[in-house]
Amino acid sequence: MKTYKLMKEDFPQFLSLLQEKGNLYGPVKSKNHYSFEKIDDLSKLTFDYTRTLMGLKKFVTPPKYKVKHFDKSGSEDVIPEDETNIVIGAHPCDIHAMKILDKLFLGQIKDPYYKKRRENLVIVGHSCLPDENCLCTSTGTDMVSDGFDLFLTELQDFYLVWVGSSKGLFIIMSSEDLFNDKIEMCDIAEYTSWQENRQNSFKTTIPFHLMPDIVHLIYEEDELWDQFGEKCLSCGTCSLVCPTCNCFNVEDKILIHADEVVRERMLDSCTLPYYSVVAGDHDFRPDRTKRLKLYYTHKLKEYIGKWGQPACVGCGRCVTYCPVGINVKTVSNAFYEAIQCVREVKKI
Amino acid sequence: MWTSEHKPIVGVFGFSGCAGDQLRLIHMEDELVSLFTTAEIKFFHMAQSHQEVEHVDIALVEGSINTKKQLEELKEIREKSTFLVALGTCACFGGIQYLNEKDEAFEERFRHVYGSNIKKKEFIVGEAIPPQPLCNFVKVDAMVPGCPIEKDNLLPIYTKLIKGIRPQKYPAPVCVECKLEGNDCLLLHGIPCIGPVVSAGCGAICPSHNLPCVGCWGPYEAANYKSMIDKLEEIGVDKETALRKIKLFGGSKAEEELEKVIK
Repeated sequence: MKTYKLMKEDFPQFLSLLQEKGNLYGPVKSKNHYSFEKIDDLSKLTFDYTRTLMGLKKFVTPPKYKVKHFDKSGSEDVIPEDETNIVIGAHPCDIHAMKILDKLFLGQIKDPYYKKRRENLVIVGHSCLPDENCLCTSTGTDMVSDGFDLFLTELQDFYLVWVGSSKGLFIIMSSEDLFNDKIEMCDIAEYTSWQENRQNSFKTTIPFHLMPDIVHLIYEEDELWDQFGEKCLSCGTCSLVCPTCNCFNVEDKILIHADEVVRERMLDSCTLPYYSVVAGDHDFRPDRTKRLKLYYTHKLKEYIGKWGQPACVGCGRCVTYCPVGINVKTVSNAFYEAIQCVREVKKI
Repeated sequence: MWTSEHKPIVGVFGFSGCAGDQLRLIHMEDELVSLFTTAEIKFFHMAQSHQEVEHVDIALVEGSINTKKQLEELKEIREKSTFLVALGTCACFGGIQYLNEKDEAFEERFRHVYGSNIKKKEFIVGEAIPPQPLCNFVKVDAMVPGCPIEKDNLLPIYTKLIKGIRPQKYPAPVCVECKLEGNDCLLLHGIPCIGPVVSAGCGAICPSHNLPCVGCWGPYEAANYKSMIDKLEEIGVDKETALRKIKLFGGSKAEEELEKVIK
């Protein structure tokens, strides 16, 4: 991996360079939160933020999109057009989430719609500082070494620019005078000190490494699950904002004008009723507790069995946005505390 | 459900409401010609002068049932139709006219509005009865709530029906559309939004403009009223106000669920 220095006074020029290469997206404040939006006015960009409402998934699995078009002559895939979308400001957790989505959509069976959108996307990461809802040190996703094209670590007077792909390198090479590949020892010292400070500013940790076993063993403890099931609004927020949740529903819409059908995919949520309805109208999870169990066993246990890591990247979106406080932090803590209580009483 | 050899026969019927849902059908200007050419519309009170009802394949029924005469007509429509769709919040849940149905005696309210000299039977529209949604009297095959309905919700169901395909229901609350519109939750900012207990379909118009959802699309099938009330109380809304907010468009469905919760 090549690394360069980009002086802060050259940063606006770097942004203009990105704008020349494609549609530039980045974090902007919108109403009460932050969101990756298309940037026409560079002054709207802000990098002093913790998390956007939706992560990078909206670029690769948009909330609603057409996948097929049918008429009497046959069917046609609706593949997105070739275009370069550059998103700047993604944090390490966002990039880890993208790596998880890549594993799912670009594994043995490649999803053509995802593939095209992913190929169109250039990710320029940006360093971040945590708030009290960030859990990424617990999920091991606080640092990132691949999955991006460029990554910027913001230091006092300059950015350290880490190159993660040939696409990223081409951007650097197209304007070499902006970048300096001479990294001095004092630069390294500054980076290390910044990274140590960052590590020390994490306030929340969760025993995530124990969660797969705990969730598995606690599966039948209905009382523990019910306390969350009774509170859950089944509103879908947790999974819609989760950067790794990617379930979609498929609907064929018949157009009224002619004998044409459009097949659409839209983001779905396993916390909604009828999510688990199968042919014959049987519903495997008619109640809220069962649906929450599915969400958390998948997120904290099943995914690890299949892919070797949790499907949680510790971004803290569920912690921030669930209106009734049901999230990976409260659920994990409740289970862990219940066990600790027993340990204290039984002196185990 | 019916063969595609002949065009399906459609009837559009209206009971008590603002007639906004029928008007919404007529306002679908881009689709209007197709609406009348893909099906044989035999009865459409608002759009046609010639009316006849024999058998209809699809009945689109707007409004709540407020009189005995309407009730008889509804039963007749049910008998003569294969697939009955409740159109709009009034038909699906009772609408705003259902409000306070359980709290105050109907007779008392009737006298308050019309005076004590008039007899209920004297109305040409029939003897008044407490307003109710269609499903409290007859089997409703599909519900398209809305105040008024939105064509993006009706058309996918309607186009399936005219091809003889049974539509699948997939209820979601306003919150789903709200997140997809890119909003964070108003409840987190102390704004008393009842989106989590309200049917989606409007595209979260109000929350997208920082206004709390008032529930005009009626109750969400998986609504958790207990948790909703707790949350509203947590942000400083008293229980009475919370209940009033939920009941405004909640109709008989919300009333039924709330009774269980309050117990």
